[in-house]
Amino acid sequence: PPGQTRLPDWDGLKLRVRTLIASHRVMIFSKSYCPYCNKVKELFRSMHVEYYALELDVTDDGASIQQVLVELTNQRTVPNVFVNGTHIGGCDATYQAYQDGSLQKLLGGNQITEPYEYDLIIIGGGSGGLACSKEAAALGKKVMVLDYVVPTPIGTSWGLGGTCVNVGCIPKKLMHQAALLGQALQDSRKYGWQYEEQVKHNWEIMVEAIQNYIGSLNWGYRVSLREKSVTYLNSYGEFVEPHKIKATNRKGQVTYHTAETFVLATGERPRYLGIPGDKEFCITSDDLFSLPYCPGKTLVVGASYVALECAGFMAGLGLDVTVMVRSILLRGFDQEMAERVGAYMETHGVKFIRKFVPVILSLQKFAQVEQLEQGMPGRLKVTAKSTDGSKILEEEYNTVLIAIGRDACTRNIGLQTIGVKINEKNGKVPVNDEEQTNVPYVYAIGDILDGKLELTPVAIQAGRLLAQRLYGGSSRKCDYINVPTTVFTPLEYGSCGYPEEKAITEYGKENLEVYHSLFWPLEWTVPGRDNNTCYAKIICNKQDNNRVIGLHILGPNAGEITQGFAAAIKCGLTKELLDETIGIHPTCAEVFTTMDITKASGQDITQKGC
Amino acid sequence: MAQRLALQRLLALPTRGPLASHGRAFGTSAGRRNTFNVQDGSDFQDRVVNSPKPVVVDFHAQWCGPCKILGPRLEKLVSKLEGKVLMAKVDIDDHTDLAIEYEVSAVPTVLAMKNGDVVDKFVGIKDEDQLEAFLKKLIGA
Repeated sequence: PPGQTRLPDWDGLKLRVRTLIASHRVMIFSKSYCPYCNKVKELFRSMHVEYYALELDVTDDGASIQQVLVELTNQRTVPNVFVNGTHIGGCDATYQAYQDGSLQKLLGGNQITEPYEYDLIIIGGGSGGLACSKEAAALGKKVMVLDYVVPTPIGTSWGLGGTCVNVGCIPKKLMHQAALLGQALQDSRKYGWQYEEQVKHNWEIMVEAIQNYIGSLNWGYRVSLREKSVTYLNSYGEFVEPHKIKATNRKGQVTYHTAETFVLATGERPRYLGIPGDKEFCITSDDLFSLPYCPGKTLVVGASYVALECAGFMAGLGLDVTVMVRSILLRGFDQEMAERVGAYMETHGVKFIRKFVPVILSLQKFAQVEQLEQGMPGRLKVTAKSTDGSKILEEEYNTVLIAIGRDACTRNIGLQTIGVKINEKNGKVPVNDEEQTNVPYVYAIGDILDGKLELTPVAIQAGRLLAQRLYGGSSRKCDYINVPTTVFTPLEYGSCGYPEEKAITEYGKENLEVYHSLFWPLEWTVPGRDNNTCYAKIICNKQDNNRVIGLHILGPNAGEITQGFAAAIKCGLTKELLDETIGIHPTCAEVFTTMDITKASGQDITQKGC
Repeated sequence: MAQRLALQRLLALPTRGPLASHGRAFGTSAGRRNTFNVQDGSDFQDRVVNSPKPVVVDFHAQWCGPCKILGPRLEKLVSKLEGKVLMAKVDIDDHTDLAIEYEVSAVPTVLAMKNGDVVDKFVGIKDEDQLEAFLKKLIGA
């Protein structure tokens, strides 16, 4: 009803007040026009002591905060002063404490009373965390890394190294390679290889080999941490106080540790659907790479690069794979390229169900122990609803792989206790260009950063440079511009710089020139593989010398190709420089050195001959 | 490498691969008495450090291919010595503290221990002749 004001969120305000008191050495609740508040601020300034003042007259909920302070301190007025968490009082009380020396005692001279146990504690032993820890240790600092994997709903866990090593880039690329080898075997006959055997794929052998390799990497990381004298705890870390964390190991044993500086590098975990049965019956990428049985007929829910890469290699290994997509493919990526990626997958055995979401999961057949031994998973019936009407679909699958996104592991590590702000919508941590959070002694790197790329090399670079800035006297910041990436779908997609849509928004279509070309890899000609499917384009800024601001390629070895061009783009690559560069023949990459046709011209880019 | 808790409980069967528990490679009955899997730090203290007889310690890992060849090979030779030398097997993922204490960086790493001291060591796979020489040196000197 009109005229009703919003009731204050007392719990939230109390927490906010307590957090402010805990996170600042000197905390002054003040009002901007209050002369006594100014006197008190002057006192601290004269002592060269930093204070934090919250002006209640210009703060939202200022009056309510004042009410909370009454509850906490029995003091109705401002200034209301706290030093190192202890309530002093108003202006008179503060001056009194200064005169009798108790204020100085509370301030503890120049240092906080106890020295910290460590120079640096890093929460998270993944790509970012490990790189930062080793760099800091190399610069002579006392460093601790905590890494702890909360098991997945079905019990999967893994060792030191983070997502990339255990359930990300490494096993993904190896399984992608396994699938490519299958394709190569098919091509081989056209190249004259003759063999009688029917070639089939054994999932268990592949998983064992990949897991063995990962095991050696886990051990390698442990050894390298030890060699660099970094203390490693396989424990779950969470903040309990400013500068202090609680570490809980698998057996529930708790230890406490303090440090001058902290780095958050906790990474992300897959998101579930939020429908009944999703956690019990479905798997995610966290489970897929060590699945001890072949997944069989699989439904992949999602259109992220994780979804498409997994669907891609599973189909390549001969499995019956369907991808269920709610709206678009590869959100955030160049959409023309994303659609081409999807189209290739579709012509190569991956089924797509577009504009549907699963709503009901129903277990049809539980996997008995005997069946698991024979490598047969259970059967799950999935009921899906259209996002575009009322159509319902029903189908049974052996495995449902959920790949709809990943959530940052920032909700349960005590950040609110020490006042570190996170983006409530996605759990990610906003930082400045030095990876510092809103709390000066807490930094963050890697996938949990708000608005930054979720890539291993980015995390590693950020981690290393951060350590160098903190302890090595460097001022170099991490450069997030023009970071190259590759999606390892069956037909790989590499890119560096702007997606076309974003370039158009940023620069205006009339200021851009897009050159493009279809191409046919030489190796595909003999086996008669897809012609006019591989595609490359560059986006040039006409107002800046035709500077290449976006480069995209869909074709084999896209990652290897894109890496070199990323360096060129960093050097300010222009169309002219590309034209002056002589291509290596016969390769796919050379397509970038001979691009003549612009999108604007409307000319046909279909390849006819060599 | 990944561990799957629920499935391990479900299967409770020794299988090859990620779910394997390495303790199966016990060798022949003669070898059984002379070869054992270290259970924990105090077991190591009792049966290796405080052992009256010299002990060969085989640090291995489930994910290590060469370890799977070296282990049985070494066990066979130890059993031929009829109790003059004992063999202790340590899975470095299960007993990481021990592995770190003895500075194991790569596997297989084999230590020769006498009266609690490390008197000899090698890393990587060795053939039977090399292993025999290694064992002979341990009992000889």
